[in-house]
Amino acid sequence: MKPMDILQGKWLGHPLHPAIVHVPVGTWIMALVLDLVAHGRTVSQTVPDLALACVILGLAGALLAVPAGIADWAPIKKERPAWKLGLYHLVLNLLGALVWAANLGLRWKALATAEPVTTAVLVTSIVGAALIVVGGYLGSLMVFDQGTSVGRQSKKKWRAIAVRGGANVPEPKH
Amino acid sequence: MPALKEMLEGRPVRSPLHPALVHLPIALFPLSLLLDIASWIAHDAGATLVQASFVSLLAGIATGVFAAVFGIVDYTDIRADHPAKKTATAHLVLNLIAIGLFAASAGLRYSSLGEPQTAAAPFIVSLIGVVILSYSGYLGGSLVYDDGIAVGRHRRRTRMPDSTLIIRTNGRPVAIGEESALKVGETVRVDVDGVIATVARLKGAVYAFQEFCPHRYGPLSEGTFSGCEVTCPWHGSRFDVRTGKVTAGPAKIDLRTLPAEIRDGQIWIHPPPKA
Repeated sequence: MKPMDILQGKWLGHPLHPAIVHVPVGTWIMALVLDLVAHGRTVSQTVPDLALACVILGLAGALLAVPAGIADWAPIKKERPAWKLGLYHLVLNLLGALVWAANLGLRWKALATAEPVTTAVLVTSIVGAALIVVGGYLGSLMVFDQGTSVGRQSKKKWRAIAVRGGANVPEPKH
Repeated sequence: MPALKEMLEGRPVRSPLHPALVHLPIALFPLSLLLDIASWIAHDAGATLVQASFVSLLAGIATGVFAAVFGIVDYTDIRADHPAKKTATAHLVLNLIAIGLFAASAGLRYSSLGEPQTAAAPFIVSLIGVVILSYSGYLGGSLVYDDGIAVGRHRRRTRMPDSTLIIRTNGRPVAIGEESALKVGETVRVDVDGVIATVARLKGAVYAFQEFCPHRYGPLSEGTFSGCEVTCPWHGSRFDVRTGKVTAGPAKIDLRTLPAEIRDGQIWIHPPPKA
């Protein structure tokens, strides 16, 4: 199996990128919520600790999500609207990941102090989460408005159903 | 309450909301599990990891239940005889079971939140929950990527077919209903002597053509109509419904058309000619 097939999730029977992105999107939004809870208040150490775990797990997920996402984007024809959507999706999410990496650095320094969620930590959380939400929304438009990756792995199954249903179908590619 | 339903379907934002909301539970439940494992490894962390895991678990349950509401609305939109309906039912049931397990896990750990380590019983219950959630999440993904559920749905403004009408012609035209029962831009999904087709009502006429787009087999009965063209909900291929000719890609070949007409206020479907 070619590297492209691996990254597209052919082995899994499911595109890989949209499955992985649950991790950074979910954990980073959770980190922002926890920071909003902890900022300027005295809270249990649990809150900043959980936020730290969220940010680290999110970055680990993002490292995997980026190459898998590029593999889904690469076959899109340049003249299709999904290509540009994909480019903006990529740029915003990469920026988002960089902001979260910076956030981790700031968070690490402040963790053991009396004020674990400094204003700098909170601001980078807000900016990072905003970038990911907007970037993620563009990703959902790619799928649900433009059909990116839809029907890619199920072509054979649906072709057979269409043939049984008497449809004109193209010759299968070899 | 069509307006509320349209909001829950995410029509105003051109994307369903359930798949966006599930990011949180899908991330938070495994995170809780990882924190349980961390609580056994990091001995000097006190009770903080156990408590962080508990918070993550509760947040997962809350966001999971919230996402379920939107998922159930999407579920009701799947045609009853669509092969994906069964997948969606399994997705729904397994997710409810997983949420139940996570709630049980939260109950089991509630009394020992001051301990430095998560006990085995709630961890195992959570672990089973994460395994089930992973599989049902996979099913949810296949609903979208294999079967195109909710893809392009927001563009269709008229009612969609909720089943397939079986027609057996025995060589003679069959009246399938009053012309007035079908509004302009609405469709009936039919099985005419085994040929699966879309019957579309346009201004002053009805047309019948193959259901499956010849690109990746998206459902044309869920497509949109403008002038005499149908647009596939998945990737936007367009066809002239009168002739079946492809007018815009990605599809490359024409649709098979079937004879249909309006006569005496009724919609008539003729026996399909041999392909």
